[in-house]
Amino acid sequence: MARLAGVFASSHAPLIIRGWKDVKPANQQELTGSLTELGRRIKAAKPDVLVEIAPDHWVNFFINNLPSICVGIGEEHEGPAEPWMKDCPYKKIAGHPKLANHILQTAFERDFEPSVSHHLTLDHGFCIPLWRGGLDPLPPIVPIIINDLEPPYPSVRRCLQWGTMLAEAIRTYPEDIRVAILATGGLSHSIGEATMGEIDEPFDRECIRHFEKGDERPLIDFLNERLPTIGNGAAEIRNWVAAHGAADRRGFELIGYCNCPEVYVGCGFASWNLGARA
Amino acid sequence: MRDYWLSKLFFDLQSSPPLGDEYRASRKKILDRYPLKPEVRTAVERDDVAFLASRVNPYLLRFYFVVAGMSEADFLKKVKTAGADAAARSSHG
Repeated sequence: MARLAGVFASSHAPLIIRGWKDVKPANQQELTGSLTELGRRIKAAKPDVLVEIAPDHWVNFFINNLPSICVGIGEEHEGPAEPWMKDCPYKKIAGHPKLANHILQTAFERDFEPSVSHHLTLDHGFCIPLWRGGLDPLPPIVPIIINDLEPPYPSVRRCLQWGTMLAEAIRTYPEDIRVAILATGGLSHSIGEATMGEIDEPFDRECIRHFEKGDERPLIDFLNERLPTIGNGAAEIRNWVAAHGAADRRGFELIGYCNCPEVYVGCGFASWNLGARA
Repeated sequence: MRDYWLSKLFFDLQSSPPLGDEYRASRKKILDRYPLKPEVRTAVERDDVAFLASRVNPYLLRFYFVVAGMSEADFLKKVKTAGADAAARSSHG
């Protein structure tokens, strides 16, 4: 049987690439330190496959067909298409159809009906944390897209349940492989709105405290109450919630947090200590 | 409510750098390919961020003005003004 070897989360602010020269040296140092440590922890988990949960940024989907959750089951995926990601080393990214199909089958057995893609383009949301974390070569990736971009979004509760299902799917996969999960996005930010550029650090800190405490209901209540009141980019915290569900809601460890106005994002980096379960 | 063809225009422009080049060279030529409502087309031609912001996803709005060549500082100023205007309208019922 497969083993869940690690669960991680990371912000993916585009300006970490597109506007890096304008980031203050102290913030550059902090972001680089966190991303390097994230990459070190992922590598230390020695994953044979990485399940990555990220949003789509109008690269694969449009409002004529916008899935709430999509599982990428293809043998290969495209690297990022954004022109400013041209230096990213990942041009073609191997998938893992067998594990992806097992996740899909488990999802349907657990009353989820995700969309399916045989060929996705993995945009900056997938690739920045891997690239800046120094993961090269990459393990095969099973991409999972959660719609954090255009309402209606899947509920926070449902994302937590999705994570629980994902961990079950990994545990019951019949090959002896190590599987890690990386969720990307968040924390607070606002793009294309009147609040663009505003970072809500108190919200981010409270959010982190809820992950650290681990209790399900307060986390859900907090996010249900606060997410509609802050910038649209915070919707991506749903991906962290899915990772939290996969880690059985325990063991959250903050790697780093950087309130970085130059990239418009309250940047968070974390892993879950799977040995710390109560 | 999203305006479908406005959204499609913005989506296509951010998906295709060559189309973005064409658009910067001749907006009219590209706009003629999309069945935009007259008032929407006028808003696009005038870079009316406030009008467009209520009709399209905010990420697409931001991507569009990057492709269209508006400076980040100008976009930030306009999108914040649009938000303030919307709040003022809302507070007046």
